[in-house]
Amino acid sequence: MVKRILLACAGGYSTSMLVDRMRAVAKVKGLDVIIDATPESSINKLVEQADIIMLGPQLGHAEEGLRKKYGSKLPITTIDMMDYGMMDGEKVLDVALKLLK
Amino acid sequence: MKKNNIQTEFLKISTAIQRNKYISAISGGLGSLMALTIIGSIFTLINSIQISAYQDFLVKIGIKSYLSLPLNLTTNLFSVYAAFAIAYNLAQQFDQDGFTAGTLSLMSFLIVTPLVTLENGYTMAIPFSWLGSMGLFVAMVIAIVSARLYVFILEKGIYIKMPNGVPPIIEKSFAALTPGFFITIIMLVVKAIFAATSYGNIHSCIFTLIQVPLQNIGSSFPALLVIMVLMSLFWFFGIHGSMVVYSVISPVLMPLMLENLAAYQAGEKLPHLITVQCLNFAGVGGSGATIGLVVAMLFSKSKRYKTLGRLAILPSICGINEPVIFGTPIVLNMTFLIPFIVAPATLFTLGYVLTIIGIMPPLNGATVPTGTPIFFNGFLMGGWQFTVFQVIACIISYFVYLPFFKKADAEAYAMEQQAEVVE
Repeated sequence: MVKRILLACAGGYSTSMLVDRMRAVAKVKGLDVIIDATPESSINKLVEQADIIMLGPQLGHAEEGLRKKYGSKLPITTIDMMDYGMMDGEKVLDVALKLLK
Repeated sequence: MKKNNIQTEFLKISTAIQRNKYISAISGGLGSLMALTIIGSIFTLINSIQISAYQDFLVKIGIKSYLSLPLNLTTNLFSVYAAFAIAYNLAQQFDQDGFTAGTLSLMSFLIVTPLVTLENGYTMAIPFSWLGSMGLFVAMVIAIVSARLYVFILEKGIYIKMPNGVPPIIEKSFAALTPGFFITIIMLVVKAIFAATSYGNIHSCIFTLIQVPLQNIGSSFPALLVIMVLMSLFWFFGIHGSMVVYSVISPVLMPLMLENLAAYQAGEKLPHLITVQCLNFAGVGGSGATIGLVVAMLFSKSKRYKTLGRLAILPSICGINEPVIFGTPIVLNMTFLIPFIVAPATLFTLGYVLTIIGIMPPLNGATVPTGTPIFFNGFLMGGWQFTVFQVIACIISYFVYLPFFKKADAEAYAMEQQAEVVE
């Protein structure tokens, strides 16, 4: 079944770079995932269409609020700072897949 | 641990700011109008290039008057859009209908704004004077108050009760009208009160008493320097510094920028030497003037930083430096705290001094889209002089970061060598 991963950061720029890398890794591994990035302000609109939400490290403050709102419906996590900084698509994707199990 | 306590404090402050409905309604509302300010800026830039042959050409082919319209209908009407956008945003945050709140706010804003009848005796007109950046404070206040009232009245279920026997659908539509009626009456009273004062209207009063002093304090050297250092500090703790700080200061400081842009289009002298736009002096490569660091990484000994440098150079050129901030990392990394604050502070001071003594022209107030590469964005905001400044800024940034980076690089290289030996 297709898994939909939603990344959120402040402006969407740095996250979209990470998304490109994750998509490349997913393609190589033949994984059935849809990965998208969105600015923080649009999370509420898109949460219905996601199976997991991954926040950029600078949005750490939002995790608690989002957990309260949607934590029962889907996993919510903050991306590790180094993984984000180095744009390590493979690592972030691994974290997502583990949480989606 | 002391560092953790400071970080917790910063985190608390930034969370409070970003969770505060009113601040985020204002910054969210203004942010949603970015497209308008960018469009107005771009047309203004196209329209205002000061080459007489070019200007004559524009007049000749008849498009000059068209090119000046976007600015007049975006930046010079900014408060009107803002009144709607901020109210919309606030109502949505309370899970109420933003559209209705927005239109009520827009109506309220126009109610308290001077309306005149022209000499012919029947044409009604609204002078643009208070519709642009000068009216922004009033727009924010009206938007917040009317939207909050709207929400309050709906939530409390206050509505005009209909006598028994009236069909429920009529009762419902009157319920929806109730907030609007209350708001309208209140705004009419506000207008009347201010009409009785020497100011004549709410705009004149708030502008003189609040907006002007706040803007002047906020655009002073110490204030802007503090703002810049705060941004760096927030980033140091892993919090999006620009977003948090801008959401608080931009409603106060944006109008001065917009005034510059309007003057720029009119070919007049720019009224403000220093505006919040001047923070761009230090933004080469993003917050903290990190471009020098990234360049240094390209020539590093360690594989780790070389990879990061290659990864981060293109985004840095476009002013996006999260990879640098989280990947070096700069967050909670004492090695880079000093340059992260000193580099932008130095550049800002340098730019400030050069502007004050007249070597660099004041920045023109144009909003340049995020992600516009360095040197281009400088040219758009301040001509070739600012572009040259940016080149110098990159060099300064490089030398400020270099000693600190060398230390980090040496450590990383040593670790890599050790790892290889072990293998």
